[in-house]
Amino acid sequence: MIWHITKRELYDNLNSLRFALTTVLLLGLMLTNAVMHLREHPKQLQNYRDTVVRHENRLESSAADSLYKLAEQGPGRLPKKPSPLRFCAEGGETFLPDNVEGGFGRWGMDDLESFWILAYPPITPNLRNISPDVIKVDWGFIIGYVLSLVALLFTFDAISGERERGTLRLMLANSVPRHTALIGKLLGTLISITIPFALSVLLNLLVISTANDVHLSTEAWGRLGIIFLIALLYMCLFLALGLLVSARVQRSAVSLVILLLVWVVFVVSMPNTLASIVGGLSSPMSSDEFYERSWQLKRESEAEFFSRWFEEPKDSTKRIELGGAYVAKDAEAQQRLHEELLKQQISQMSRVRAVIRISPVTIVQHLLESFAGTGFERHLQFLENVQSYAQQYRTFIADTDQADPESLHIYGIRKGMSQKPVSPEAIPKFEDTLDLSKDFNTAATELALLTLFVVVLLSGAYLAFVRVEV
Amino acid sequence: MIGTLIRRETLDNLMTFRFAAAVFIMLLLVVANTFVLITDYERRLASHNEAVKMHQRQLQEKITYSAGAVRVDRPPNPLSIFNVGFDKRLGNEVRISHGSVPSLWDANMHESANPFMDMFASMDIVFIFEVILSLLALIFAYNAFAGEYESGTLRLVLTHAIGRGEILVAKYISAMLCLIVPLLMSLLLATILLTTSASISLNNNDFLRIGGIIFTSIAYLSVFYLIGLLISAATRRTSTALMSSMFIWGFLVLVYPNVILTVTPRPEAPDALRTSAFNQIESIWDTFDRERKHYLATDDFPGEDWGYELKGWGSRGAYFLDNARTLSYTYRSTMDFEGFGEEDEPKMPHAQKHFGFLGAQTIDAADRTWLIRKPTLEEIFIQPANMERIWLKLSPVGLYDAATQAWAGTDLLGIRDFFHDARQYRQSVISYFYDNKVFESRQWFSGDKGAADWSGLPQFSFQRDDININAKRAIPDVCLLLMINVVLFIIIFLIFVKSEV
Repeated sequence: MIWHITKRELYDNLNSLRFALTTVLLLGLMLTNAVMHLREHPKQLQNYRDTVVRHENRLESSAADSLYKLAEQGPGRLPKKPSPLRFCAEGGETFLPDNVEGGFGRWGMDDLESFWILAYPPITPNLRNISPDVIKVDWGFIIGYVLSLVALLFTFDAISGERERGTLRLMLANSVPRHTALIGKLLGTLISITIPFALSVLLNLLVISTANDVHLSTEAWGRLGIIFLIALLYMCLFLALGLLVSARVQRSAVSLVILLLVWVVFVVSMPNTLASIVGGLSSPMSSDEFYERSWQLKRESEAEFFSRWFEEPKDSTKRIELGGAYVAKDAEAQQRLHEELLKQQISQMSRVRAVIRISPVTIVQHLLESFAGTGFERHLQFLENVQSYAQQYRTFIADTDQADPESLHIYGIRKGMSQKPVSPEAIPKFEDTLDLSKDFNTAATELALLTLFVVVLLSGAYLAFVRVEV
Repeated sequence: MIGTLIRRETLDNLMTFRFAAAVFIMLLLVVANTFVLITDYERRLASHNEAVKMHQRQLQEKITYSAGAVRVDRPPNPLSIFNVGFDKRLGNEVRISHGSVPSLWDANMHESANPFMDMFASMDIVFIFEVILSLLALIFAYNAFAGEYESGTLRLVLTHAIGRGEILVAKYISAMLCLIVPLLMSLLLATILLTTSASISLNNNDFLRIGGIIFTSIAYLSVFYLIGLLISAATRRTSTALMSSMFIWGFLVLVYPNVILTVTPRPEAPDALRTSAFNQIESIWDTFDRERKHYLATDDFPGEDWGYELKGWGSRGAYFLDNARTLSYTYRSTMDFEGFGEEDEPKMPHAQKHFGFLGAQTIDAADRTWLIRKPTLEEIFIQPANMERIWLKLSPVGLYDAATQAWAGTDLLGIRDFFHDARQYRQSVISYFYDNKVFESRQWFSGDKGAADWSGLPQFSFQRDDININAKRAIPDVCLLLMINVVLFIIIFLIFVKSEV
């Protein structure tokens, strides 16, 4: 019986105007998305490769000089690997830096040079950008906004419309349990929206996979499959919402008005408004405060260094030790300050991201981001990679220095460290990795939340439909 | 007769659920967002005041003129609450120096906020209207004719001695009356909230600007209502009319503005133009450098050191700064000395004369650079962006956005006014320097006999343009919106007159 109802719904929908319009709209959007990705992805890849080459060249040239040079110059700019699935979820990547600065000279004097630290330069892509502001059309946009709207447009009259036409009475006159009727309707609409959606997804992937520049691995296809399933789950949420309202309300026009207003509030308005409200609750260190403190730290350690340095005799080991200690301490203090700022910014952002999950569109966008390997969580993963690499790099320097018998083992100063060139192969190189298992962990809560929403709305729709008087 | 019709229609509309829902949702969203926007504005204003104070302090700390960096800050625009435009995006701090003419591309961003938070779009009031007003207008319009065809009441009305045009006008007026209510109510509440905030002071011109925004909003609302009417008259069935209007809404509001710019060919800035302009600029500064060296070689003082071998203590530095992308090029020489030896005194007049020469030369080179830079920047940055804006204006949403930005003064032209003022301010600083012979003064490079006196420097204050200029910028788009209204109305009239009942 369930299949009978499903089939009937399906035929009804396939002939309708909304089906045709949905197909055209989704195909157009997905095609745009693919074309855009093909235009932009090669540039990002090229950019990434260039930075990697620069990083390696820098290591090599420093290594050819001496171990000290390596320790002073640092590994240079460390790039974030662009995800091949960025077309699925852009995830605000435009506002996330694509590298971490690992070494730029901050100061230098006679025989002392500042040591490298990891700095996290912010990016302001909009500072000189006078083009109009637009949302990137990624899968997240298509699924989150367009598909949800379409789902509502397919279900707003599912029950109220039948009641108006009187066909509901006819259907229930048969020996059909109400839940069967409801599930049949849900499945019917789900399938009828899935058809154009799947078609457009296929078209999108076809266009993307035919291009030479973009290579999708098996793992990427797996992720795309998961993303597709998430989209279906998300669609179910709005179908259930549509059925719920449609069952409660007498007239389909009223049902549509309610649904559209709910959609505008939850999907369009809520994420950004909540983000501003929650973001306003905490304020991380401002850039001025940061620079001021950085300057203060530098001045303090400088003053301390000079006061002790002048007391020691010229060319003594003590002076070398003091110089090394000064450089090392300065680098450490600055590093701590940079990390503190970053931590404050991240904690503000994490809080905001946790709260805006009330809106289903945010949940689905977060999910898409974590499976596409983009967005904020991915950025945190990248930062973690960078930090563990920095650790590795420092250990390597310390170990190599220990291995050199001629070195004085005083970190931070040329005279105190190994001056021999290092073999470039031995130096650890940075490579950014994307880890799927971690994505599953971060996604689990959100997936559970989304499922919960679907279940609640579905049972709501069931209860409402059971109590409907025909 | 038409009065009766309007009364009937208005009552019909007012008693509906959709009207109640419209009022409720508009008030809810607008009030909630106005609170958020006001807090955000207050934060930005505080940050601006902080920056102004900090720049003042930093300037006062400098004891020589050459080391001081005069910076001016752009205050946030209170009307950015209505349409934020470029107010939060583009640079709001620019350095005024005699060696370069400031422009939008030399500005920096002074902001206290977390850069990660830029990810979230700001929901200004116009954005809410863009989405909700258009939706409401379509919901009000979809069954205006189709519903009456179906229920047969149209036939009934037409049996009376009444023209079809009158029916159309009555329907239009009554629905617009009902739609304007939530619009005006929410705007009124927003304005009240604005006036209660202590940090926002609105003057008469601002209220006129808000009036302009309200008028534009009504024109926008009317465009969507007429689109809905057109669909309703053309399709004659409520369900079809509803579906078509929803998809058209989705297309115009959601899809078109975001898709069009990626679909249209991006006008690439001609690289050749940029390179040739940069080469010209480079040659200006090469000539400048040659003349500078020539002066040093031929003046009365032996040696070619620009610091005249002064043995004071302090810092000095001279360098060229250039950026081929934004075509900026400048020469900076700073000398921040205090305390000189006996043997330095005879060198002083030479150094002073040299700095006087250098100042004039730098200003001249900077002005000539700007003559080349200005048209080139226009061509490689502004024109492509204007092309993109024209594409966006093909949809009423884009027109509405552009017009309200112009009213609020947060459009590109409004922001560029600030840089225009900054350039004028640079001129007045330079004439102050000339009048007081600052370049030739000892304080230009040395603070040993009295520090630089910054108190006489002309003050900078950025005044937003007069309402007339805002109006002039907004009127073309508003007129286009009105024209769309008229065209749609005529088409509906024609369809309705020809249709059989």
